[in-house]
Amino acid sequence: MSGEEGVKFPLSEAFSFSLESIKRRFGRALVTMASIVLGISFLTFLLTTGRIVSILYGEGSGVAVQFYQLWMAVIALLICSVGIVNSMLMSVTERYKEIGTMKCLGAMNTHVLEIFLIEALLLGLIGGGIGAVAGWAIATVWQAFTQASPVNIFMVSASLWTEFNASNPLLLLANPLIDIALSVIIALLAALAPAYIAAKLSPTEALRYEV
Amino acid sequence: MTLRYEYAVETEDLAKYYVMGPVTVRALDGVSVKIRRSEYLSIMGPSGSGKTTFFNMVGGLDRPTRGKVFIDEVDIASLDAYELAWLRAKKIGYIFQTFNLIPVLTALENVTLPMVFTGVEREERLRRAREMLTRVGLGERLDHKPGELSGGQQQRVAIARALVNDPVIVLADEPTGNLDLHTGLEIINLLKTLNTEKKVTIINATHDLKMIDVSDRIFWLRDGKIERIETRAEVAVKEVE
Repeated sequence: MSGEEGVKFPLSEAFSFSLESIKRRFGRALVTMASIVLGISFLTFLLTTGRIVSILYGEGSGVAVQFYQLWMAVIALLICSVGIVNSMLMSVTERYKEIGTMKCLGAMNTHVLEIFLIEALLLGLIGGGIGAVAGWAIATVWQAFTQASPVNIFMVSASLWTEFNASNPLLLLANPLIDIALSVIIALLAALAPAYIAAKLSPTEALRYEV
Repeated sequence: MTLRYEYAVETEDLAKYYVMGPVTVRALDGVSVKIRRSEYLSIMGPSGSGKTTFFNMVGGLDRPTRGKVFIDEVDIASLDAYELAWLRAKKIGYIFQTFNLIPVLTALENVTLPMVFTGVEREERLRRAREMLTRVGLGERLDHKPGELSGGQQQRVAIARALVNDPVIVLADEPTGNLDLHTGLEIINLLKTLNTEKKVTIINATHDLKMIDVSDRIFWLRDGKIERIETRAEVAVKEVE
């Protein structure tokens, strides 16, 4: 076969394909995104509240509170991950037939993998973005209304966005930007297994599959 | 006197066995055939005779247990994943009983899809897809999703999709299986017209007897083996008798 020949699926095509797929299956995307939004907003809410309190009133309450917070955060993340894995699995299995068809039209395993991973990346980014902003905003407003000096609290919580303190995982996670990154990582990890299985399917297996 | 590329498809002792527990099912058991370029061929046989297995083997969708498939004189077992994808994208068009259109894409987008993989420019893609859909009589339905189209219309989109890359062969697995008599006949005639027009080899796996009237040759398959090969004339003579 000459050099001209060979299937192509540039990243830009994969990206627009994934984006269209999210747009046109918006209901499914919302379900996946909802679990991301809830998990990440809970995590961000918890850590923002913790940081505001400890910055304004000192680290007095100490290690016990932090340890407790970490557990809460880990559990929030776990619940969020299970939800994402579940909806990713669903969205891949309901598209087996589509994957089989794509393979008949020239898609390779890597192309299928690309489509699903880009979708997960977008969902993680959007869901994580909404979740982190919402969690941070709710925590800030909550504290501003229940504590003394609201202006001070806004200043403190705004500073969280630029705080990159890697010495303590809790401090690092208190930065909403890090939570968004975390959300993307979780979404990608959750999508990896189902996307890999989907990509490895032979076209005949995929086409035979009935939902 | 063999011309190069005289045969679009050749199979040599093609076999596929499925092991199901203690039983070995011989879905395809030693099929050697030569299919000429621009031939309109029907593979007939009762269900379970191996039609779909043959379809999958020739289409490079599944690996045979034994034997070889040559498409344009290339042994497809020798292709790597990249070349196999190219074969599926460029050289073979697939038509299915269940249409298998992508439900979230419009008719036009479904037809452009194979050209994405062969690297056709976006504008050119749209132009060719429009032209092809108009050719199959769906010029007015470009922006409809498969769910908004009737079975016959969906199969037309699938035919446009199968032919838009100018493949060497079009493989159709029970293309009329989900259609009523009248619509089925329309689809058969459309396939025949395109076969004559574009000189593309069309291979139908079917048990729709309406296909006989337009087929150049008919392979009768039974229990994974070729029972007999007939030309249309031979079948017609038999019917008269």
